Amino acid sequence: MTAALLLRGALTFLFAAQSIDSLPPRHPPRSVAIDERLAQDYGIHVGDTIVIAPTPQGKGDTVIVDALVRRTRDPSEVARGAYRIRVHLDELQRLVGYGDRVERFAVGTRGTAGADSALTAIDDAAFGFHAYSSHEIAVESSTTFLVVSRFHRAIGVITIVASAIFLLCIMLLKVDERRRDVAALRLMGISRGTIVRSVVLESALIAVLGSIAGVALGAAVSAFVNWHYQRVYRTPLTFSLVTGQIVVIAVGLSVGLGIFAGLLAAQRLVRRPPLSLFGR
Amino acid sequence: MILTLARASLVRHRARTLLAMLGVAVSAAMLLDMVMLATGMRASFGSLLVAQGFQIRLAPKGTLPFDTDATIPDASDIIQQLMARRDVVAVSPVLGAQLHVEHGSASVSAAALGTIAAVQGDYKLLTGRAPTGDDEIAANDALLEAVGTKLGDTLRVAAGFDPQLRTFTGRRSLRVVGRVHFIYLSAGERALAIPLDALQSMEGPSRTNRVSLLMVRLRDSANVESARTGIEQSIHTVSAISTATAIEQVEARLSYFRQLAFILGSVSLAVGFLLVTTLVTVSVNERLGEIAVLRAIGVRRTSIVKQILIEGTAIMLVGAVVGLGLGLVTARYLNSILAAFPGLPEAISFFLFQPRDAWLSLGLLAVCGILAGIYPAWRGASRPIAHTLREEAVA
Repeated sequence: MTAALLLRGALTFLFAAQSIDSLPPRHPPRSVAIDERLAQDYGIHVGDTIVIAPTPQGKGDTVIVDALVRRTRDPSEVARGAYRIRVHLDELQRLVGYGDRVERFAVGTRGTAGADSALTAIDDAAFGFHAYSSHEIAVESSTTFLVVSRFHRAIGVITIVASAIFLLCIMLLKVDERRRDVAALRLMGISRGTIVRSVVLESALIAVLGSIAGVALGAAVSAFVNWHYQRVYRTPLTFSLVTGQIVVIAVGLSVGLGIFAGLLAAQRLVRRPPLSLFGR
Repeated sequence: MILTLARASLVRHRARTLLAMLGVAVSAAMLLDMVMLATGMRASFGSLLVAQGFQIRLAPKGTLPFDTDATIPDASDIIQQLMARRDVVAVSPVLGAQLHVEHGSASVSAAALGTIAAVQGDYKLLTGRAPTGDDEIAANDALLEAVGTKLGDTLRVAAGFDPQLRTFTGRRSLRVVGRVHFIYLSAGERALAIPLDALQSMEGPSRTNRVSLLMVRLRDSANVESARTGIEQSIHTVSAISTATAIEQVEARLSYFRQLAFILGSVSLAVGFLLVTTLVTVSVNERLGEIAVLRAIGVRRTSIVKQILIEGTAIMLVGAVVGLGLGLVTARYLNSILAAFPGLPEAISFFLFQPRDAWLSLGLLAVCGILAGIYPAWRGASRPIAHTLREEAVA
């Protein structure tokens, strides 16, 4: 396919099955590539003949579907339901009456130095348009996802704080539940340090086992999230990614919090006289 | 007596009780935030759409308003057709474009809305008056600051560029007669309002008698959905979108947040439930002897269960009240993050507090508190008295 111009919304797609005025067919009809979702939703196949027109029920061109195009992993496309078709540039310009105009050029250069000098040269020569590097475009168009990332990070921090409080609470309750056992051990002569270490060891073990279960659960949920949203939005985009770094951070945090909670609970318990732990 | 015993039990282990309440508060805050997130977008967007009283919007066929550069042709005929309908009170046509305000040797781009001042629903007048003449505009503060002008000044404005002649096209001198706030634009977006025919003329033949959007105000007694269907069937070049439809379509795009809200809200509720269950279970296990003694002296099982339930519910309710305050603070913070979405109208709020949300969260937590305590309470109160006394109270 040649390079195509996409004028979103400037083109309306109509089925060949409808009785529509069309321009005299060009011989042979030119080819287009259509969105895979469009093909699925309307039962169109490669080789089918369709009519494309700029307005509903307006005059259009008869074309042949030459290929189906899958959406790219572009986050900005995710929530947009609009279909896309790829058309020969000159044909689209003629069809929508756009004349010898385009919305943008993509320029390939030899290396970064070439890109910088091309940017300068284009900006100096241009009037009415501006040249951007791909990096600048990527940064600008990523603003939405930066906002989403910040939001996720904020939710993550709140979740960690909440989890820490819950963990501390439950550890305190569970350790407190065994205060008679601790009292008995103290009266037998076991030192405070030994008791604290055993509680911390226990909480560390629980934290490690819980982390392993959490990582497995997180990986499973991540896989489910990707499967679900890829199906809903019909996109190959990966929504959730569990990386080694994320696992290390999550396990480190949870084990650290678990040990801290156990230490705090144990210290609280061993500070009290053994007989008071018996309720005497 | 039940209340006294419940209070005494909670006070006996202050640290534990406070920590549990804090845990519930965090859970309640998260739950409230998620309830606000799930409902806020819809309520906020809905009230924004009907703020000016227009219930239906007409956009080029197959598109949403201002989603693309497409325009509706034969606008004047369509307006006549709409005004002929008995259920239509007013029609406001809007043409969107990008204009360039000359500022020294450079230019400042601004969004331009071509409207008819008498029926427009896109901006609120702050000072001055709405533009009615071909040489008048009203601008928002962002644009006025960007070009360093004020009311009464004249600006040179162009519609486009001719790269071959290296000049601006569609140039006009326009006087700023009003300072306005655009209802549907994002914060900081530079914009101006100009009479519709003036903008169409500046844009050239490609925009003659064309608009980007038509807003329709119906009579109070009109059925919005039948009016929408009737309009779409009679005018084939437009898609008619009611407020309800627009909300659904925006919600579909932002459904991720609603689903996230549901998941996190459910997790918060589950964790709060778990916390109270654990607390009540531990508390009951510690007091098995005490419970057996109470039962031995004639206190009924149901009274003991009630006492324990009151403890669990009290923790939940106090925690929930604290959590409501905490939730409002975190909601404000989270909303400030999401408000930075590019292109989001300034008036949209993701976390909108409605008293109904607070009652819903409180109610859910209260029910959770009761359910969390039922099983451990009943189990503790159902142990055989003599056996429990021998093991716990006597030993």
